[in-house]
Amino acid sequence: MSTLADIQGVGLGLKRELIPQIQSAYQNSTQHSDENLSISNINFVEIAPENWLGAGGKYARDLAWFVERYPIACHGLCLSLGGADPLNIQFIQQVKAFLAQHKIPLYTEHLSYCSDAYNGQSGYLYDLLPIPFTEEAVKYVANRIRQTQDILGQQIAVENASFYVAAPIASMTEIEFLNAVLVEADCLLHLDINNIYVNSVNFGFNPHEFLRKIPKDKIVYSHVAGHLQVSNNLLVDTHGQNVIDPVWALLQEAYALFGIFPTLLERDTNIPPLPELMLEVDKIASLQAPYKNLKAA
Amino acid sequence: MLDFQRYQAEFTAHLRNPAAHQKPKNVPNARMAVYRELVFNNFLASVSACFPVCISVLGVRKWRVLVRNFMLQHASSTPIFREIPQQFLAFLTTQDCPDYLKQLAHYEWAELEAAGSSAIVNTHKQALQTHSTIRLNPTALLLSYDYAVHQISKKNLPKKTEPTFLLVYRNTDFEVKFIALSPATFALLTLIQTQDLTASPSKLQNLTVLPSQFQNLTVLKCLKLFAEQIGQPLKVIEQFGLEILQDLAKQQAVFQ
Repeated sequence: MSTLADIQGVGLGLKRELIPQIQSAYQNSTQHSDENLSISNINFVEIAPENWLGAGGKYARDLAWFVERYPIACHGLCLSLGGADPLNIQFIQQVKAFLAQHKIPLYTEHLSYCSDAYNGQSGYLYDLLPIPFTEEAVKYVANRIRQTQDILGQQIAVENASFYVAAPIASMTEIEFLNAVLVEADCLLHLDINNIYVNSVNFGFNPHEFLRKIPKDKIVYSHVAGHLQVSNNLLVDTHGQNVIDPVWALLQEAYALFGIFPTLLERDTNIPPLPELMLEVDKIASLQAPYKNLKAA
Repeated sequence: MLDFQRYQAEFTAHLRNPAAHQKPKNVPNARMAVYRELVFNNFLASVSACFPVCISVLGVRKWRVLVRNFMLQHASSTPIFREIPQQFLAFLTTQDCPDYLKQLAHYEWAELEAAGSSAIVNTHKQALQTHSTIRLNPTALLLSYDYAVHQISKKNLPKKTEPTFLLVYRNTDFEVKFIALSPATFALLTLIQTQDLTASPSKLQNLTVLPSQFQNLTVLKCLKLFAEQIGQPLKVIEQFGLEILQDLAKQQAVFQ
């Protein structure tokens, strides 16, 4: 049985393209072959329940392979914590059963929404849309997080999401909103380092100041990723490029401020071969190394 | 409705149908464009992966229009990505497009369904005999169409209806297989499937291996029932029926 404490060090997002490569590198490493690609810095993997729930056949076979060998973190996309339509209780119950079945100790979601009630009917939009930062929204979202946690019987972690449109009706900053939700919902924080950077460029704030206002005790998990630079003041969070230096620096700064916390490399599009991704995985491990004795909460 | 939800409703209405709904006031158009593109491209990618033949038959331009209509007309109710194509099928039944396209889409979806079915495929090594039990591969979809959907391509559009019977299933190597069936074989397999479902209603809710006590339909009993159904003596169809089932068993379409 994996526990939250088993999710530590560095992780890699489990994309279907990578599965055969990870499996083959893993088998080679157990056979002490000379031409090894070392994947020893992959300590855990992450999956989206929306991609794996109820999937049989080779998907179930592959998932079982990873469950046997790695701690797994679940990072959801469609819970729609800020959505106007009712929470999908049936889905949360399916996630709960999925977590139990595969012994997955951590479930995180975005502080965003991906559904609406267009023409009076609940429907998904399958993208992460920005919640307006208002007091009302804090209460509403926190209430839905609590409801989710009650059903799951465990705390979830919420991720600071990337966004591109600031709501003119906002009455708070993003960091104020994030902190208010964390307190009000009594949930954990999934800190996305790249999203801090992306939003800081998109909305012209200082990412270091943002980072310093993060509540250290709430951090259980983090992401680092690449993004697409569309213009000087617009970055799109594609997870399709290598991590850039300012984001590495921000990650390093976060470790220095808070101690280390589990960090996952996200790569969802334009996925290079595993050896190239391992360079970034190894880089995370090397950034964590100096702080090994200084763990966050 | 709360203030922030009113804003969200404007926001998503615009994303679904920018032509009919203005963006929320005082938000920059260039930034809304990022969301318009992301959301549409997500829908397009989630649906398109399942329907390559439909796309080639219809052409990319018309396909995009169809996906746009899906976004603005259909409230997709599943958070599971693999289930989005099924939502699209439901939407497609409401659209004014050729029947063959709707049936082709269903046939393309069947491949996805068999590949991802949570049923477990186990086989027996022994050859099928008349006393053997028989059941359909638990991942199998037994399909009947008005058009030869498995032969449709951009260069081969159906000119007339042609009753078509197909079996789609996953084998133990996790490959999805397609078999074109004669009307008689289709009827025979339908009979096996019906027996299966009658014997174990739980199979309808939970597609797993049947408990052994329910695996009591033998080849002989199945052929007897089939003979009765078509009003022929058993001896007329017994040998031929057995050979057909043996052949299907070799292909893992049916199991003992």
